[in-house]
Amino acid sequence: MRNDAVLLMLALAAGPARAGIPEEREECLGCHSDPSQVFVLSSGEKLSLYVDAAGFARSVHGESLRCTDCHSDKTADHASGSLTFRTRREVTKAYYEQCKGCHFANYTKTLDGVHYAVMSRGNDKAALCVDCHGAHDISRPGQPRTRISQMCSRCHAREAAVYARSVHGRASETNPDVPVCTDCHRAHDIADPRDGSLARRTPELCGRCHGDAKLMARYGLSTAVIGTYLADFHGMSATLQRREGAASGAPLAAVCTDCHGVHDIQRPEDPRSSVMAANLQRTCARCHPGASASFPRAWLSHYEPTFERAPLVWLVQTFYRIMIPFMVGGLVLQIALHLWRVVANR
Amino acid sequence: MTDPHASEPASRATDLTRFSAAQRAEHLATMLVFVLLCLTGLPQKFYTAGWAQTLIGLFGGIDRTRWIHRFSGVVLGLATAAHFTNATRTMLSRRVGLIMVPNRRDFEDAILQLRYYLGLTDRHPQYDRYDYKQKFEYWGLVFGNVIMVVTGLILFFPVRFAEIFPGQVIPAAKVAHSNEGLMAFFVITIWHIFNAHLNPDVFPFDPSMFTGKISRERMLHEHPLELARIEGRGPEGGGGATADHARERELR
Repeated sequence: MRNDAVLLMLALAAGPARAGIPEEREECLGCHSDPSQVFVLSSGEKLSLYVDAAGFARSVHGESLRCTDCHSDKTADHASGSLTFRTRREVTKAYYEQCKGCHFANYTKTLDGVHYAVMSRGNDKAALCVDCHGAHDISRPGQPRTRISQMCSRCHAREAAVYARSVHGRASETNPDVPVCTDCHRAHDIADPRDGSLARRTPELCGRCHGDAKLMARYGLSTAVIGTYLADFHGMSATLQRREGAASGAPLAAVCTDCHGVHDIQRPEDPRSSVMAANLQRTCARCHPGASASFPRAWLSHYEPTFERAPLVWLVQTFYRIMIPFMVGGLVLQIALHLWRVVANR
Repeated sequence: MTDPHASEPASRATDLTRFSAAQRAEHLATMLVFVLLCLTGLPQKFYTAGWAQTLIGLFGGIDRTRWIHRFSGVVLGLATAAHFTNATRTMLSRRVGLIMVPNRRDFEDAILQLRYYLGLTDRHPQYDRYDYKQKFEYWGLVFGNVIMVVTGLILFFPVRFAEIFPGQVIPAAKVAHSNEGLMAFFVITIWHIFNAHLNPDVFPFDPSMFTGKISRERMLHEHPLELARIEGRGPEGGGGATADHARERELR
């Protein structure tokens, strides 16, 4: 099969390169332009053999690829042969390998992705290249960006619906700044969100936008959220646990999403938000059972401890800022004087 | 250094007992626990540094580092409580003086000592069993321990404490614990190590806290008032109540 393809491609490449494309396409379309053309697979499923020529012409590959670049097993007389595929899904899976010839980097990334992992464990529904990108009608990815989330929602409808109601999802229709699915999950090497590796990446993932002063200034949001988190108990623990990897076994300290939510993130002022003041006690209690009404005050809500915000913390901090240099300086001075006297007495 | 006693003949160069076995054991335990607390605590404060992450790795990860820290903290807390109980009981039952309490003489000694260091006087202060530096360190340790144990417990059981106190007490305890710990580390590594080991008088190492023994020569040099009482003669400074001495030493 592959040898035939190579021979065919060589034969085609021998002719004047671009000029050959329409002719070859014309040849294929002689049969494949008929919308009623179907092939009944052994499972009983009907495989449409129709190709929308105009749609393909508009696609990113319309100007550059010949039919046989992807359908490399199709010889001039393939119509007389037989198809061994039992289902339409098997046909799609068979074409998974075809993209890598040109898109090797992205293909390799998918091998690390959760879709490939699920597929190799026997789940036929896991997404392949064409499930997200389309086949004959491939357009530039992310144009418009909302198309990305719509694409994912075809399989992940529940998550997509929750996301669509979130602060990010609501704005995604009109605002290119907010994240769509792939901004957090990535596109090709999507991590399995259940194994904790995505959660461990969370602070820097959110920090890509929430630590960007220029971007946050547009919405009046503070970039101190990252620094204050990392300076506190949760940020420290999560950072160290991440270095240790998943092997440590202990529950991971709270990351951004544990308090703010994942797909359902809302503004902290929103009554639905898990970090809204009135909901905070319940949110804390998820990890700290028995958390009292005053417990959420233990967290300074991403504010630096100023005299106005947290007078007690500020007071203690100020005391030690003066006390430590005073104490250490005083003791070092006395040691210096002592030694100086020893030398002077000699 | 001009030794005010240099002219006195060191006739009885025998060793004296300065610390009881219980006191030595207490010091050893405090020392070990303190080292362990620093090794497991400071890397948490400076967790972004490479050395801190290496140390935490050596202890088997942050979660185990924390359990070692908490265990050591509980030991330190129990040791502090035992020390207080013991001191209170000794004081109540025997009615001994508060020999660790700083008095007027300590302030005078401190001023005289500084004047001596500055070369303003040739007179060196005459010290009793504990000089002002040792009392300062003792009380620093006592208050430091109390702060560390209380704030440590708050951080150990934040949910329980927030039931009684305002939530803000917890981050305040964290700031206090972290800074007090750092200060204790500085005081011990700079001040205590200098006075107990690097000080030219005892350099390179003063073993008396571990052996319990001190030479008469050093007593004469560092604690002349106490030596005078032990030997049943009035010190030059006067006021040595020999009979009180044995009872005071019980208290430490």
